[in-house]
Amino acid sequence: MRASRVAVVARRHAIVIRRVPFRLFDIVLWPMVDVILYGSIGVFVAAQSQGASRSSATYMLAGIMLFHFLYQAQVANSTAFLEETWSRNLLNIVTTPVTEWEYAAGMALVGLAKLAAGIAMVTLAGLVLYSFNLFDLGIALVPIAASLMVIGWSISLFVIGLVLRFGQAAEAWTWGILFMVMPLSGVFYPVSSLPPVLRPIGRVLPTTYAFDAGRQILDGRPVPWGSIGIAWIGAMVCVVAGVAFISRMLATFRRRGYVTRFS
Amino acid sequence: MGLLGPNGAGKTTTLLMLLGAIIADGGTIDIEGHPLPAQRSKAMEHVGFVAGYLPLPQHLTVREALRFFAGLYGVRRPDPDINAALERFGITRLADQRCESLSSGQRTLVGICKAILHRPRLVVLDEPTASLDPDVALRVRTGLKELSDDEGMALLVTSHDMLEVERLCERVIFIAAGRVVAEGQPHEVIEHYGVADLESVFLAVAGIHITEEDR
Repeated sequence: MRASRVAVVARRHAIVIRRVPFRLFDIVLWPMVDVILYGSIGVFVAAQSQGASRSSATYMLAGIMLFHFLYQAQVANSTAFLEETWSRNLLNIVTTPVTEWEYAAGMALVGLAKLAAGIAMVTLAGLVLYSFNLFDLGIALVPIAASLMVIGWSISLFVIGLVLRFGQAAEAWTWGILFMVMPLSGVFYPVSSLPPVLRPIGRVLPTTYAFDAGRQILDGRPVPWGSIGIAWIGAMVCVVAGVAFISRMLATFRRRGYVTRFS
Repeated sequence: MGLLGPNGAGKTTTLLMLLGAIIADGGTIDIEGHPLPAQRSKAMEHVGFVAGYLPLPQHLTVREALRFFAGLYGVRRPDPDINAALERFGITRLADQRCESLSSGQRTLVGICKAILHRPRLVVLDEPTASLDPDVALRVRTGLKELSDDEGMALLVTSHDMLEVERLCERVIFIAAGRVVAEGQPHEVIEHYGVADLESVFLAVAGIHITEEDR
């Protein structure tokens, strides 16, 4: 892997982000909207319950902020790839010496910067608008957030693989897939609150354990290292599955000449 | 070398196999001793690619796009090469324009600059002058001929303009339905078919025989 090629890919995407204001929506606007929406719902529920649900606002805010680690990691990576399909630039790319992994590393680098900006935005919004500080979760925030980021990156490999295989029609998954993960992994509530038929699905998602760990800490319980460990094991499974999936899709993409769909 | 044949003959597919973008069902492809697809990255360091139909990255200026591709090809300090390439094709004034604002002719010229920045041994050109005005097409042809003569770059060209092929190519390969049906120097192929020019060979390969009246 050549670092210079990784840097070139990252620089190309950084220029686009800087030059196209709409690309900032994922980093600035949607995080802000999410914090206001879910924070206000939490405050309202707490007020209606007259203190019985004291934690509802913090559950909602912590949930949506943790969700953004997953969302930003996934969307940043996927949209960096989609940028090439929107530009119809994919054929130009695949006929250069850059390897798939160099390209993925360049996208991940930009994704990391976008993720940091998006997280800074939700944290700031939570702090200023609702006096909620995500960092109150303490040191355990690091492994919880990191597991969600790794899962987000893995999901982006699946999304990119689907676009390579099925064309641009599959790009709706970029945004849609996380809205399936969100309710099933109990971002704002324990999986036991789901309809019984959906609970088994929730229990196999590694994200469930990361969100659950966040809630347990908010409740003042000891750091649930067991749940965090399960989240990480699941994250590793997602990485292996994501890499295997995209490798398979890339092979199909090259064997069947699907690159012509994007040119 | 001209790779010629009617629509659907397999010209672009062949080029994309040579570029490692499509994996061939059978046979082997070696570029400078690097087999495809196993050593695609190494092989592509010796190849440049231009297609008349291919856009350049949106939101980047021409210079930024050329720096991007030069970086992918491993060119360390690309600016002198970028300036030289833009000058060669008379498009220095486009350097700071956004890629999406270019006309198709300008885009093709920038595409050629992109393909030669790393001084490849082989430049693959898919329909380089399709839909270009005659003056721009002439500039492209002249520039490509000079490149080949001055830098020793081999050109592999697909085109539907047989006049262009006659001017540019030392050898031609005609393919139909994925198979080679004629190969050699243009005059040899013309003689073999007993016709007046490459266009008539093209029509014969496509299964159309023209009369003197049609001509």
